[in-house]
Amino acid sequence: MAKKDTFNALVTRGVETSVADELLTKFSTLKSISEAGVEGLMEIGLSEEVANDVITKVGKRASRSTAKKKAEEVEVVHMEIVSNKHHEYSDEEKKLLAMEEELGIKLPLKVIVDIASRLEGADISDEKCRELLTVADRMYQSHRMDPHESAGVMAAHSLGEPGTQMNMRTFHFSGVANILTTQGLPRLIEIVDARRIPSTPSMDIPLKGLAAEDEKVARLVSYEIETTSLLNIATVETDITNMRMIIHPDQRKMDERGVTMADIIERLNKVKALRGLVSSDDFEITVTSDEPSFKKLQVISDAVKNAKIKGIDGISRAVLTKDRDDRWKIITEGSNLKEVLKVDGVNNEKTMTNSILEVADVLGIEAARNAIIREAFGTLSEAGLNVDIRHIMLVADLMTNDGYVKAIGRHGISGRKSSVLARAAFEITAPHLLHAAMNGEVDHLEGVAENIIVGQPVTLGTGAVNLIYTPKKGDE
Amino acid sequence: MKGIIKKIDRINFGLMSPEQIREMSVVKIERPDTYDEDGYPIESGLMDSRLGVIDPSLKCRTCGEKGGECQGHFGMIELARPVIHVGFGDDIHKILRSTCTECGRVLLDDDEIEEFTEKMEELQEAGESVEDLVKDVYKICKDKKTKEVCPHCGAEQEDIKIVKPIDIIEVRKQYDENGELMTEEDGTPLTEDYDLTASEVREKLQRIPDEDAYVLGVNPEVARPEWMVLTVLPVPPVTVRPSITLDTGERSEDDLTHKLVDILRINQRLIENMDAGAPQLIVEDLWKLLQYHVTTYFDNEASGVPPARHRSGRPLKTLAQRLKGKEGRFRSNLSGKRVNFSARTVISPDPNISINEVGVPEMIAKEVTVPTYVNEWNIEELKEAILNGPNVHPGANYVKKTINGKEMKVRVLDDNRELVVENLEYGDVVMRHLKDGDIVLFNRQPSLHRMSMMAHEVRVLPYKTFRLNLCVCPPYNADFDGDEMNMHVFQTDESRAEAKSLMRVQEHILSPRFGGPIIGAIHDHISGAYLLTRDGFTVREDDAFQMIRKSHLLNNEYVDKKHLKRKNRDWTGKELFSLLLPDDLNMNYKAEICRKCETCLKEDCQYDAFVVIKDGQLTHGAIDEAAYGSFSGKILDTIVKEYGPSRAKEFLDRSTDLAICGIMKTGITTGTNDEEIPEEAIEVIDAHLDKAEQEVDKLIATYEEGLLQPLPGRSAEETLEMRIVQVLGEARDTAGEIAEGYLTMGKQSQDDSYDYVMAVENHSVVMARTGARASMLNLTQITACVGQQAVRGGRIERGYINRTLPHFKKGELGAKAKGFVHSSYKSGLDPIEFFFHAMGGREGLVDTAVRTSRSGYMQRRLVSALEDLKLTADGSIRNTADTIIQFRYGEDGTDPTRSVGGKVIDMDDLFTEVLGDDADALLRLDSRDVGEDYGSREKDEMEYFEEENSDYESETEYESE
Repeated sequence: MAKKDTFNALVTRGVETSVADELLTKFSTLKSISEAGVEGLMEIGLSEEVANDVITKVGKRASRSTAKKKAEEVEVVHMEIVSNKHHEYSDEEKKLLAMEEELGIKLPLKVIVDIASRLEGADISDEKCRELLTVADRMYQSHRMDPHESAGVMAAHSLGEPGTQMNMRTFHFSGVANILTTQGLPRLIEIVDARRIPSTPSMDIPLKGLAAEDEKVARLVSYEIETTSLLNIATVETDITNMRMIIHPDQRKMDERGVTMADIIERLNKVKALRGLVSSDDFEITVTSDEPSFKKLQVISDAVKNAKIKGIDGISRAVLTKDRDDRWKIITEGSNLKEVLKVDGVNNEKTMTNSILEVADVLGIEAARNAIIREAFGTLSEAGLNVDIRHIMLVADLMTNDGYVKAIGRHGISGRKSSVLARAAFEITAPHLLHAAMNGEVDHLEGVAENIIVGQPVTLGTGAVNLIYTPKKGDE
Repeated sequence: MKGIIKKIDRINFGLMSPEQIREMSVVKIERPDTYDEDGYPIESGLMDSRLGVIDPSLKCRTCGEKGGECQGHFGMIELARPVIHVGFGDDIHKILRSTCTECGRVLLDDDEIEEFTEKMEELQEAGESVEDLVKDVYKICKDKKTKEVCPHCGAEQEDIKIVKPIDIIEVRKQYDENGELMTEEDGTPLTEDYDLTASEVREKLQRIPDEDAYVLGVNPEVARPEWMVLTVLPVPPVTVRPSITLDTGERSEDDLTHKLVDILRINQRLIENMDAGAPQLIVEDLWKLLQYHVTTYFDNEASGVPPARHRSGRPLKTLAQRLKGKEGRFRSNLSGKRVNFSARTVISPDPNISINEVGVPEMIAKEVTVPTYVNEWNIEELKEAILNGPNVHPGANYVKKTINGKEMKVRVLDDNRELVVENLEYGDVVMRHLKDGDIVLFNRQPSLHRMSMMAHEVRVLPYKTFRLNLCVCPPYNADFDGDEMNMHVFQTDESRAEAKSLMRVQEHILSPRFGGPIIGAIHDHISGAYLLTRDGFTVREDDAFQMIRKSHLLNNEYVDKKHLKRKNRDWTGKELFSLLLPDDLNMNYKAEICRKCETCLKEDCQYDAFVVIKDGQLTHGAIDEAAYGSFSGKILDTIVKEYGPSRAKEFLDRSTDLAICGIMKTGITTGTNDEEIPEEAIEVIDAHLDKAEQEVDKLIATYEEGLLQPLPGRSAEETLEMRIVQVLGEARDTAGEIAEGYLTMGKQSQDDSYDYVMAVENHSVVMARTGARASMLNLTQITACVGQQAVRGGRIERGYINRTLPHFKKGELGAKAKGFVHSSYKSGLDPIEFFFHAMGGREGLVDTAVRTSRSGYMQRRLVSALEDLKLTADGSIRNTADTIIQFRYGEDGTDPTRSVGGKVIDMDDLFTEVLGDDADALLRLDSRDVGEDYGSREKDEMEYFEEENSDYESETEYESE
């Protein structure tokens, strides 16, 4: 093999013969060429332009080395963001917070921040600031929800009622990327159901560093993410007489996706059904069946055709688009948060998936709670429905309360209520009653459904207050 | 009123032991018959009168009460052989699989038992479910069952299988003559299935000690495992299964009775056969039959058991079916109950009553009554009511008196009126007719949110429909195409007081969903107010006063007299509207008619779309939907929040009155003339559409040549389709825009030049632009072009092979062939277009039908999951188990209803209040997002969807019970 193969490989990659000759004076394998990098190539007398060209053509390896460089740069950014996670108080905010403490009131931080942002640059006396806080507190207190309010029912109504106005079968193209995502009522139901896999999983992956600026780098990142199957980069033919499959890789497509012959062979060898059957020469790969059976050949054929050469499992498509700030980002069909976060050039902090359970698995329950809020709010806004975020928060908090994402329904919250009667009244009546009898359960009649069943006032609102007025005798 | 209300503290669940069943039973049922020839219950038959009676002429032999008074007593059937209870088949299987074949101990060692017992006791004390732990026990034991010997007696274990629902099978290992384990070739033990009889199962269960039962999920305090196998069957009292006498005099028995008859018959036969020493096979067959009948008696839908059927072939409704599902006891009779003092009839509109009133037909007012305690102040009135009797309106139907501690209800009749009046004394209760001012609950289904049930004041009116103010249509989602609504009359003072302070219409002007008004002006109110308040509208002073009088602004507590003085000149509409506004109201906002110009001219807006209210005077801008419409009214929103619900109610009542006066002054009319545009405009539009269609043809040509550059990740076909949809969409939009250019509301300003005859006063456009009804999209569809029809999210595909209709060539991809409607509604659709339009329309209908059921189920689940959550006094949200769900509600404790467009407080208000005039520099009125858009988008979009029915890809899977 050695030099001749390398020469051929270079030529098939579109490197001019003269350049290839020159390269071979110093390097003997593609790997060594790519490892040398642009500088290394320039040393042997190539112009920068040509060197760059060669490196890109040699493909994936080159991108890896640049990716490594990016990774270092990325580490730094990452650290910065983590340390900056807490809100940095401005001088005005600090002043107001001190006053707040002094006055013995507690306002939501957002109010303080809002007041502070307006005070900035204005000349307001401390006395007035104190007054501002006092008045703000008075307003805040009058806007607070009353104790014993049935906040839950309010939230349920606020989410359920707009459901009737939503559209079924609504799909929506996220951005210009032409990725379909479920929207409308089906999506809302999906969120509330806490489905393991959404019907249209999708990810939104902003890029960072060089990848966000340069389309070429961005594209390389997207090829790291998008699943490349063998059929994407090669044509496959089945040779029945010789019981083998012949794979003709398409050099252009391979270059585009940064795949080398070696990668393909390596990958094919990893597939269980093909292990040990793969052989190759310069331009084609042959997979020969070890048994003279058509059944086996069929198995091999399927395995070859479905073989994943590159990319991340579950992500069938990755489309590059620009975000609002004119930076590159990737939108995908399919979701695999854990793996995508490992890819260099991906802005980890801002990467999102619409699969809530995946968020819970990878980032934890708090993240899942935020994901539920984000997705539900987004879905409702998309349909043009205005729902106060507090209602959605309550649903999300309930769903994630015990550290796992629980569904709204008989397998989740409603099936785990402490009251037997409430469970029986919801769904699967008889088994709940029978089990309660067997376990000797006690219903303390604390909830709404149970009390309605036995015909008593519910424990919410006016029913929650247990005050009885006994007039003094003789007062009349 | 009568002392402490809470009576039931808790409910304990448990199984009944055979002894308990025998103990509570009043009669042992032995005969499978019901009544004899004379129609009397047969002794120790299923209708034995010791079980209670239904016929009021008979007396219960147990308690001595008459039929109707006696609530019934249980009997019992002694089963000849034990029978497994269907509901417990699975549990019995799990328990047997977890216990030793020989000694009946649980297959855990002593340490494990102790550990689990402790954990479970802990959980039980905390009131939590032990289910998960029990599952763990089952799992551990299941593994041991097949692999290990009993940790207590060391016996080899036999596996237990179940054939659902109730056949328990022991998998016995085979031994040869020498006692050696027989194995298959591969070394697995040779086994034989052995069907355990219910008696054997019961014996096995009996061996389980109490402590072991506890870890297996059977609480020994209330249940024993063997009680899951029945030896004696309780027979429910006849009141539970009343027989019905048909018109023909035939008796028809309840399904449960039928089933009990079956059980008794087989039971008797089994006893007879056993006594006669019949062969084992026959006994076993009968036993199986008994098991079948008992099984279906409990649950006639158990999987693997053919349902028992009535003679007519209808499956019987047995115990489980009575409880289950939507029509079952739980959901239909316990969670919701039928009530008296309610009425239902068709609704119709009445703009002359207040928003918190409801017009009640006299006929209904005479039927539903209010219990009134007689006292010093109302005795005369009530006496008069009684004298009026039940058939004259302010009358009374009953009088309730308490004589010697016994309550008596006297019906007011023609001949006893005088007597009743004579005897009427303080403390009696008169069931008087509903009269004006009474408070009632008004409701329209589906009751999706709390605004679906509000308290109204009664206005007794003639005719037979409920009347309601148009402003309350949005919260009820009511219209008058035949909708019916329900009314409930409160029967206690507490309920009335609660309703009055919590449920009245004015308390619900703001929706807790988005913190904006959901009750507000609609339709003509909006166009009326616009026509009244737009620039240039004036009325003669006399007319102005007439309007003031007609809209009840004279002698109105909220209208200062100083505004009602003669001006000796014509009044402007703005001056009239200003009368409604509180004198210290200041605000400015952009009206619905705002054209969203690039630079806003504010007060100088040429469309009069910038509203300025200064000290309660409307100085600039016209009133439209954004001012006081439902979902979006900004003035209304401010008034409710700043001046309270009563003021807001008055504002709404009066402003709608005034708007109606306005619309009657100016007049409003609409017709197809409104959608007329000049000939040349039509030509431009047609040219435009033709160009677009040509462009589509060009795209198709490019595609057919194979030159179409596919979009990344898309095939050429998909790309073509997307491009075509895009081109046609744009074409329709431009066509609409062209038409819109000619559709103006009328003369906007003095120097406005318009030459088209029809543009002088275009009320259709007025309605669309002010947000009263319809949208510009609707109008342009009428005028210019209807646009692409969609089925399943794309252009129309279905129909014949490779084409939608036989009018086209196979594989034709052009605009027309796939449902593009070039025509406008006004010019008329050609047959092909009409057909495509109908296709789109049908899909919309189907979609609506599917949507309601799915969203209904989602809401039921949401409510069921969230109903127990409440805000506690410490600001946290907790459920019934006192688990904290949120430490502070919504992270800031703010009530969404009271929030300012979702924000905690209004910064501008804060600064104005504290700093006064100095605050001006710090205010951000322009960026003010108070009620920004509330639901305006939502309405547009709804209408858009209704019209376009652009529905997309289908998703089939549907979950319901």
